[in-house]
Amino acid sequence: MKMVLAGAPPSDTDGERALLRRARAGDPAAFRRLFERHAPGVWRFLRDLLRDEEAADEATQETFVRAHGRLQALRDEERLGAWLLGIARLVYLESRRSRGVQVDVEAEEHAREVEAVLPTPSPEDLLLDRELEGLLTQALGTLREERRAALLLRIDHGLPYEEIASVMGWSLQKVKNEIHRARLSLREQLSAHMGGSRP
Amino acid sequence: MSACRENELDALLAGELSDEDAARVRAHAEGCAACRHALTWLRMERGWMAQRARRTPSRPALDFAALEARLAATAEPSVVPHRAPHESPWRGWRTMLMGAMATMACFGLGLVRSGPTTNAEEPWGAEVLVAASGEACEDAAAALEARVGACLIATPGLALRN
Repeated sequence: MKMVLAGAPPSDTDGERALLRRARAGDPAAFRRLFERHAPGVWRFLRDLLRDEEAADEATQETFVRAHGRLQALRDEERLGAWLLGIARLVYLESRRSRGVQVDVEAEEHAREVEAVLPTPSPEDLLLDRELEGLLTQALGTLREERRAALLLRIDHGLPYEEIASVMGWSLQKVKNEIHRARLSLREQLSAHMGGSRP
Repeated sequence: MSACRENELDALLAGELSDEDAARVRAHAEGCAACRHALTWLRMERGWMAQRARRTPSRPALDFAALEARLAATAEPSVVPHRAPHESPWRGWRTMLMGAMATMACFGLGLVRSGPTTNAEEPWGAEVLVAASGEACEDAAAALEARVGACLIATPGLALRN
């Protein structure tokens, strides 16, 4: 049984493929359905990259304007989500460049092998209260941009490692390494605020 | 944990492994404290992200009407040509090159109209230069220069002299 991925839209592949075909043929209602299905995830991805909700609004719209103009270029219909997130990332990079942002804070550049000292979370830790959500967002913000993008593509948008490699332009091994390091960094930052027992 | 391949545990939770691989990873995790520990974290991470996704706020950008308006605006032809931020910087150079070629065509036209030169050592005789700087060419070149913001008349002459 396939698990439902975190923030990914419903995996109604056949329905989505049919919508995509109709949208390519110029059916605005079909494009609207695709937008409604994918826009929240695209917005969240951009918000997490830009760390600015208004900038994410603008970048989301720009992403879908570009997607609308290039629907015919999408070869693998099953990869619409990854394709949109790939466009979103390019829009983000352009936005960052135009704002003159240089490089991300490399606060977690030296990710350490820390899992041995991390506590095992308690059942109460499963609830993401507002405070923990704030800490999670803050912890994500300390990750280097590329590492953050790769991690989010996996844990929020449910992309397989191969698709992340394609979106990021990385080797599969690099994707695995980066995501692992990002996870360790997040756990290290969040474990201090959680209960649970040490292994 | 690094020897236990966290990405395989992650793929197990995501249902991405074949039945055979899933059974192998599951069997290993049952007997490995580090993997069980990692699985707990991975499950929690997934739960957190799902809760976070459900809290995605309603934003103006998620309104399709806003996108429709933007698409309509994009489809309208622009009255004043402008260079978009993402437009290739080479476009300006292409325009200049086209302008230069058009100016050279003006010179060529002048050459044909003026007939063969009398001095074989002076292919760009005085009459050619006069014809090339005639009224029609001046107007066309001025328009092109205004468009690309550069002096085009000098360009072919310099190139020919070199």
